[in-house]
Amino acid sequence: MKPILLQGHERSITQLKYNREGDLIFSVAKDTVANVWYSVNGERLGTYNGHTGAVWCVDCDWDTKNVLTGSADNSCRLWDCETGKQLALVNTNSAVRTCGFDFSGNIIMFSTDKQMGYQCFLNFFDLRDPQQIADNQPYLTVPCNDHKITSAVWGPLGEFVIAGHENGEINQFSAKSGDILKTIKEHNKQINDIQTSVDLTMVITASKDNTAKLFDSASLDHIKTFRTERPVNSASISPIMDHVVMGGGQEAMEVTTTSTRIGKFEARFFHAAYEEEFGRVKGHFGPINCVSFHPDGKSYSSGGEDGYVRIHYFDPQYFDFELEV
Amino acid sequence: MQETVDMADDPEYEEEEPSFSDPEDFEDDVDDEGEQLLGDILKEKPQEADGIDSVVVVDNVPQVGPERLEKLKNVIHKIFSKFGKITTEFYPETDGMTKGYIFLEYASPNQALEAVKNADGYKLDKQHTFRVNLFTDFDKYMSINDEWETPEKQPFKDFGNMRHWIEDADCRDQYSVIYEAGERTAIFANDAKDPVVSEERARWTETYVRWSPKGTYLATFHQRGIALWGGEKFKQIQRFSHQGVSLIDFSPCERYVVTFSPLMDTKEDPQAIIIWDILTGQKKRGFHCESAAHWPIFKWSHDGKFFARMTPDTLSIYETPSMGLLDKKSLKISGIKDFSWSPGDNIIAFWVPEDKDIPARVTLMQLPSRQEIRVRNLFNVVDCKLHWQRNGDYLCVKVDRTPKGTQGVVTNFEIFRMREKQVPVDVVEMKESIIAFAWEPNGSKFAVLHGESPRINASFYHVKNNGKIDIIKMFDKQQANSIFWSPQGQFLVLAGLRSMNGALAFVDTSDCTLMNIAEHYMASDVEWDPTGRYVVTSVSWWSHKVDNAYWLWTFQGRLLQKNNKDRFCQLLWRPRPPSLLGADQIKSIKKDLKKYSKIFEQKDRLSQSKASKELVDKRRAMMDEYRHYRDQALQLYQEQKEARMELRGGVDTDEPDSNVDDWEEETIEFFINEEIIPIGDL
Repeated sequence: MKPILLQGHERSITQLKYNREGDLIFSVAKDTVANVWYSVNGERLGTYNGHTGAVWCVDCDWDTKNVLTGSADNSCRLWDCETGKQLALVNTNSAVRTCGFDFSGNIIMFSTDKQMGYQCFLNFFDLRDPQQIADNQPYLTVPCNDHKITSAVWGPLGEFVIAGHENGEINQFSAKSGDILKTIKEHNKQINDIQTSVDLTMVITASKDNTAKLFDSASLDHIKTFRTERPVNSASISPIMDHVVMGGGQEAMEVTTTSTRIGKFEARFFHAAYEEEFGRVKGHFGPINCVSFHPDGKSYSSGGEDGYVRIHYFDPQYFDFELEV
Repeated sequence: MQETVDMADDPEYEEEEPSFSDPEDFEDDVDDEGEQLLGDILKEKPQEADGIDSVVVVDNVPQVGPERLEKLKNVIHKIFSKFGKITTEFYPETDGMTKGYIFLEYASPNQALEAVKNADGYKLDKQHTFRVNLFTDFDKYMSINDEWETPEKQPFKDFGNMRHWIEDADCRDQYSVIYEAGERTAIFANDAKDPVVSEERARWTETYVRWSPKGTYLATFHQRGIALWGGEKFKQIQRFSHQGVSLIDFSPCERYVVTFSPLMDTKEDPQAIIIWDILTGQKKRGFHCESAAHWPIFKWSHDGKFFARMTPDTLSIYETPSMGLLDKKSLKISGIKDFSWSPGDNIIAFWVPEDKDIPARVTLMQLPSRQEIRVRNLFNVVDCKLHWQRNGDYLCVKVDRTPKGTQGVVTNFEIFRMREKQVPVDVVEMKESIIAFAWEPNGSKFAVLHGESPRINASFYHVKNNGKIDIIKMFDKQQANSIFWSPQGQFLVLAGLRSMNGALAFVDTSDCTLMNIAEHYMASDVEWDPTGRYVVTSVSWWSHKVDNAYWLWTFQGRLLQKNNKDRFCQLLWRPRPPSLLGADQIKSIKKDLKKYSKIFEQKDRLSQSKASKELVDKRRAMMDEYRHYRDQALQLYQEQKEARMELRGGVDTDEPDSNVDDWEEETIEFFINEEIIPIGDL
C-alpha cells in the first residue's frame, strides 16, 4: 500500500473531507488556504483563498456545488466549489470551530469558540433566505456556555446537530428549536472529532480520553468502544466493511520531546463489531489530526500535524482479511 | 473580580483604633505553670531531685588498698570523664580497702545517662566488667514486686491458612500490581492465558508494597506505620505504628521486621529504626539513624539469628531474640567500608581499605565465634564490592585497583570457594570496565557485562571444582546494562533498561545460546517469577510517564501477555517458601518429569482450546449483537428513503452511483511521478 502524498499545506492539517462521490478531497490546515484535490491521483484541483487565519473546518454539500469553511480569523465563508469564488462571508466574534451542510444542502450550521470574552454559539443559517447572511442574522442561535463545542456534525434528514464538547459530553441540538434533544456523557475528556457513517445512521466520536466510540445517530445509544493508549484525534467508519480507522498520537505539544516511535503516530484499524485492532499504518511523523474513509471504502486518507495529507489505496488482501469466528 | 477597599481612605476605618486588650470575659487557655509558653526554658529549671539524677553507681570495680587507690582513680577518671565532667567521686572503704563499688556525680543527668549507656558492661580486665546504674534506679529496683504475676494470656487470633495461595490447584504464582499512580493495588494469580484477580483495593498503600521473604505477608505503607496482610482474603494480620515510615526490611525468617522513619528521632528515645516482632506486634528495640542512604542499615544473617550494622570503625552484631549486642561488644574494625552476610552460613565478609603501609583486606569471619576463617590482602585498591552466590557457596569480591606503573583502573574478580578447606581464592582479571555482575543463584556460573557503550560484551564464566575458572562464552555488542538470572539458574535475561530502550536477550547458559532477542520499549524493570518459568518486564510510571504496562514472557522469551495498566507503578512476585521436599524427592520428580509433563500438556491444550473457543464465542456474540443493531438501523434508514429524496430534490443518493445519469463525464490524464521520500527510522 503505497500512499499518495499531498504536499499543499505549510502547517498542520486540521480537517479532511471527501465529497459525496469521493472524487474530491477537501483539506484545510492551520495555514490560511483550503485545498481541493483529485482523490484518484492526488493532483491539486485548486484552492479557496481569502481566510486570514488558521482554517479549522471544511464541508461540502451533497451535490458538490458549495464549500463551507470556518476559520480562526473569526469568519465562516461559503465558496463556489468549481470556481473557488467566495460566495458569502459571515463574520463572527470568535474563531469558527466546526461547520457543516445539512442533508439537503440548504441549511448550514457552525459553532464558534468560547474565546476573548465571547461565548460559544451554535448558529444556523438558511441559504434559501440570502437576507440571513446579508444581515448576519442566523435564524437560530444556541448559546453553549458551560463547555464549548469542539466538533459537530449534522444528523440524518437535517433534523438535529450532534455536537461534542470539551468535557466529553455529546448533545443533540434541534435545528428547528435549538433545544437539546438528547445528551450523553460517555467520554471523560474532550471530543476531538465526530464523523457519521455514510448512511448517517451512526456516528463515531474520537476523544482525548484515548478512545473512540460508536453511537447510533438518532438515539445516541452507545454501541462500541475502541481503546488505544494515546489521545484519538479523529475516527472514521468504513462504508463497506465492519471497520473503523482511528488517528491520533502523543499530543503535539509533547512531541518535540519524544521520538516518532513513542508518539505512536499510526493510523489504527479496528474491527467495528469485535472492538479489536487488526492493523496499523505508519507514515506520519507527527500526530494524525484527521482520518477519513473514501465513500467507496476502497481507500482512506489521513492528515497530520506534520502538514501532509496521505491517500492510501487498500491492497486486495485488506478486503479478504477476516478475523477468525 | 474581587473588590478591594483602600483601608487608609476609608473614614470608618480610621476612627476605630484597633484594641489589643482582652475582653473582660476572656480566659487565658495557657495554664499557670506557663509550660506552653516557656516549655524549653522551664525544662532547665533546677529541681529538687537534681544532683541525685546525675549520680551513677559503678559496680565490679577492683578492690584496692590505699597504695593503689591513686592509680585506680586515674583509670576510672580516664574511662568515665569521656561522658562529661565528674564533679564528685566517692570510693567507700572498709579496713583501708575500697569496697568494689563507687559513686560518681556528673555535672548533668544527661551525662550520667550517657555513662550508663556506654560504660555498662565495660570490660576493665578479665575479672572486672563494670556494671553502671543510675543512682535513682535504686528506687526503681527496690520497688519491684517480689511476687511473680503471670502475664495474662492473649487470645489466639486465627487468620486462617497463611499459605493458602500455595494450594492453588494450578500452582499459579501471585504477584502484586500497583497502578493508577498508586491509587489502586491488586493481587493477581499468574496464568499463561490471562491474569486472574485475587484481590483488588483502592488506596491499599500510600507509597508501595513489599512481600515478606517467604511470601506470607504483604506489607503496605501508611503515614502512620506499616500494615501486614495475609491469609486467604488478605486480612490485616498486624500493624506497626511508626510515624512517617519510609523503608522496611524483613528478617529472612519472617519473624522480625525493621522499619525506618526519617521523622521523630529523639536523643532519649531512639526510634529512627525500630525492630518489631511480627507475631506479637511488639517493638523489640529502637535505634538511632542519621541517614538511610544505604538501606538496609541492618543486614540479617540467613537464619535471622543475627543482624549487623556498620558505623565508622565498628561493626556491631546483634543477636535475636534479645536484640542485644553479641557478647556485649561491637567489633572494632577501623576503616570498615562494607560488609555482607553469607546467604548460606553465619559468616560475615567485610573489607577495609588501605591505610598507609597496611594493605587493604577482605576478611571472612565466622559467627558467633568471631573466628577469622580467611583474610585476603589486596594492594592499590580503589573499591571493592562483595557478591555472594545465593547458597553461600561462593563469594566474589570485585576489586577495582590502580596498579603501579599502569594507567587507569583495573578490575579483578577474587573468587572465594567457601565450601573448600581454607577457602581458596582464585582471580579473574578483567580488562574492561564492569557494568554488571551476577552469580547463577544455585550454580557455579556467573555472568558479567563489560566494556563501554555501545561496545558492551556479555561474558559467562564457570567456576570448576579444581578452582579453574573458564570463560564459557562471550557475546559481543550487547544492548544491556543489567543481568537477571532465573531464580532456578541456567536461564537469564540481559536487559538494556531505561536509556537502552528496553532491549532484552534471553540466554540459556547450559550451551550459551541466545534463545530470543526482543524488546519492551522503555522498560524499567525485569522480575522473574519464583519458579523461573515466567519473567515480567515493565515500564513503571515512576520512571516513565507513558505506555505504562507489564509484559509477561516465558523464560525462553516468548511474549505471552501485554498488560496495559493506567499509570502502572510496580509489580512484585509473591515469593514462595522453600520447598518441603527433600533433595531425593526433587530428584525423583525430575526423573519422572515426562510422566507429569504429559498431564500438564494435556491440561494446557485443553485450556488453550477452551480459550480460543471462548474468544470465538465472544466474537460471535458481539457480531450477532452488532448485526442486530445494524438491521434495525437499516430498516429505519429504508423507511426514511422518501424523506431523503424529498430533501434532495427527488434525487436518489443512497448509493454513490445511484444518480449516475446526472454525472458529467470528465476525462483526466495525469502523469503520476514516483518519488522516494526517506521518512526516518520508522
